Amino acid sequence: MSLFGIAWRTIRQRLLTSGLTALSLALGVALVVATLVIGDVVTQAFKSGSGLGYNMIVGAKGSPLQLVLNSVYLISKPIENIPWTFYEEFLPATARPDGVAGTFAGSVQTAVPICMGDYFRSYRVVGTSAAYFDRLTYGGGGPPRLPRWLVRLLGQSTAAAAPRPFAFSAGRNFRDDEFFGGVLGSEVAARLGLRVGDPFAPTHGADDGLVHDPFTVTGILARTDTPVDRGVYVNMEGFYLQEGHAKPVEGAAPAAGSAPGTPAPLPREQREVTAILVETVSLPGLPAELTAMALKTQLNEGRDGQAAEPIREISVLLGLFVRPLELLLLLVTTLVVIVSAIGILVSMVGSALERSRDVAVMRALGARRSQVLATVLIEAVIIALGGGLAGWALGHVLVGAIGPLITTNAGVSATLLSAAPTAELLLVPFLIGLAILAALLPALAAYRTDVAKWLG
Amino acid sequence: MPSPVIELEHIRKSFAMPGGETVAVLDIERFALDEREQVALTGQSGSGKSTLLHVISGIMRPDAGRVRVAGHDITRLGEAATDRLRADTLGLVFQQFNLLPGFTALENVLVAMSFGSAKPDRWRAADLLASVGLTHRLHHKPGELSIGQQQRVAVARALANRPRVILADEPTASIDTAHQDQVIDLLTTTCAEHDVALLVVTHSPEVAARFPKRLRLEDFNRAAVHHG
Repeated sequence: MSLFGIAWRTIRQRLLTSGLTALSLALGVALVVATLVIGDVVTQAFKSGSGLGYNMIVGAKGSPLQLVLNSVYLISKPIENIPWTFYEEFLPATARPDGVAGTFAGSVQTAVPICMGDYFRSYRVVGTSAAYFDRLTYGGGGPPRLPRWLVRLLGQSTAAAAPRPFAFSAGRNFRDDEFFGGVLGSEVAARLGLRVGDPFAPTHGADDGLVHDPFTVTGILARTDTPVDRGVYVNMEGFYLQEGHAKPVEGAAPAAGSAPGTPAPLPREQREVTAILVETVSLPGLPAELTAMALKTQLNEGRDGQAAEPIREISVLLGLFVRPLELLLLLVTTLVVIVSAIGILVSMVGSALERSRDVAVMRALGARRSQVLATVLIEAVIIALGGGLAGWALGHVLVGAIGPLITTNAGVSATLLSAAPTAELLLVPFLIGLAILAALLPALAAYRTDVAKWLG
Repeated sequence: MPSPVIELEHIRKSFAMPGGETVAVLDIERFALDEREQVALTGQSGSGKSTLLHVISGIMRPDAGRVRVAGHDITRLGEAATDRLRADTLGLVFQQFNLLPGFTALENVLVAMSFGSAKPDRWRAADLLASVGLTHRLHHKPGELSIGQQQRVAVARALANRPRVILADEPTASIDTAHQDQVIDLLTTTCAEHDVALLVVTHSPEVAARFPKRLRLEDFNRAAVHHG
C-alpha cells in the first residue's frame, strides 16, 4: 500500500472531520474565487471600454464621468440633452443643410450621435445612426488577460488586441432609411431570445413607462465582451418619432406620423441628442492627441456642452473606485484564506492527536519518521485539493447565481464561465502550499510521536 | 547448533522520574533467542518486560550495551536503518492488537508490507490471512471482527515481511481464558510453520506453561531483582 493509499484511508476513516475541513476550505475558496472573478470582470469590463473607436464624447455640461458611464457603459443616467444644431457643428459641409462645414468639422473624423432614455426589458435603448456600427470599432487597447508566458505557451499573440469592426452573428446593420430597424447586442438577444425579424417595443424612461411603437430586429451583433453586448440600438429617426421624444418648439411642424412605412422625419429644431461620439482627425504633422486636446479645450470653454476623454475618465474611475475596491476585496480574500488555513491547521492537529496511537503502531511496524511525515502532508494536500477544487467550482456557481444581480446593478456581465484566469491559476498551487504549511505542525507532531509511550 | 537471532549483551536502561530520581529498569548481562526457538518470558508487573521488547525491537535505545538482531548491531545503526531492520526482521503482536481501525484486515497486512524492503504483495497478504483462517474476512475492518479474529489479523500482520522473530507482548492479556489457548496455539503453530522464532512476554503462568522454554525476567535482569 502506497503512502498515498495510507493517507487516503486515513481521510476516509475520519470522513466527517476531513469532510468538514474540506467543506470549510471549499467555502473559503468559493468566496475567494467569486471575489476574484467579480473583481476581474468589473475591471475588465471597464478596461474593455478603453478600446473604443472614438476618443472623445461630447455631451451636456456636467460630470464627465457620468457622461462616460452613460454613453460607454450604458449605466447611470444621462446628464441632459444637447441641441441638434450643436451636433451639426461637428458635421462636414456635405452633411449639413446649409452646405457649410460645422465649426468643429475640421478636427473631426467621425461624429456619431446617440439618444438615450428608453428601455427594453431593463436593457438600455440607444437611438443612433447606422454609422455607429459602420464606422466605430471595439476591442482595441486592452492588455492580454493571461500572463505573457502562459499566452506564449498557448500559442497566442502577446500583443494587445487591435480594434475590430463590429460583426453580426445574424442579420445586418439597419440602414439610415430604415426608421424602425434595430440591432441587438449579443447578450440582449441571447437573454431575451429575440431573432432577426422579431418586433420589439421600447418603453419610455423606465421598464414600466409608456410603450413606444415597435421596431424590428435587423441584426444581432457578435459577442464583443464590451458594454455594447448589453445595448439595444435603434435607428434614431424612428426614436425621434416616438411620443415624448420631440423637443416642444413653438411653431414647429408636427411629425407626420409614427407608423412604420415612410414617415416624415422629425424637424431639425425639434431634435436633441444625448451625446456625440467623436473620433478626432490626425492633422498633418501633428499627433491625434494634440487635435483632441485642442478640440476639448475649445468645447469646454464654450457654453453648449462639454467634451470628455473616455480613456482618461476610465483611468480616473479605476483609480478612484475600482482599484480601492480591488484592494478591499484582496484584503477580504486574504482574511478568508488565512481563516481557511487555520481551519486546516486545527483539523490536522486534531487528526494528529486522534491518531497518535496509529502513528505509533505504524512506527512500530517499521514506518520511518519521514514516511509518517509524508503521510500527514499528503493527507493535507488531498484535503486542500478536494476542498480547493470543490470551492473553485462553487465559486463559479456563486458568480453565475449572482451574475444577473451584478448585471442589473453594475452593468457588468458576470456568468458561470466568467473567470479571473491568472489569479485562479495561482490559487491552486498557493492553496497546496498553504495546506502544507498548515499541516507542518501536526506532521512534525506525528514525526516526533513517542512510540513506546503510545504502545504502553 | 542454532545461531541466535537475537542477542543482548550488557544492556542497561533506566528512566528519569519527574522528581529527578533515576530508576533502573533493565540490567541484563546476556540474553539470546535462537532461530525458530519459542520462549515464554514471564515477570511481575513493572519488571521491565515491555521495555525489554522495545529495546530488542529498536523502538527504545539502551543506555549501554549491545543489541544484535539477525546479526545486525542495532545500537550502531541510525534510526531509519533500525526502522527498516525492524520492518524486515521482526513481527510485533501487541496486547491490544493495535490494528489500524480505518483499514480492512487485508489493508492492515498491506500497510505492514509497505514499510518493508519487499514490494507489498496483495496475494501474499490474502494468503497470510487465509493461513490464520480469515479467508472470508479480508475486507472487514477491525470493528467488524471478533476479538479472536482481530488477534488473527495481528498475527498475519506480524508475518507480513517474512520476519525472523515474532515478539508478542502479553498477547492473551485482554482475552478470556477460553480463548487464551487458541491464541497461543495460533502463535506457536504459525511460527513453527513459517520457521520464525517466537518470544512471548506474559505475566500468566498458565500461558507460560504452554511453552517448552520459559524464562523469568527476574532471573537475569538484575534491575528487576533489585527493583521488584
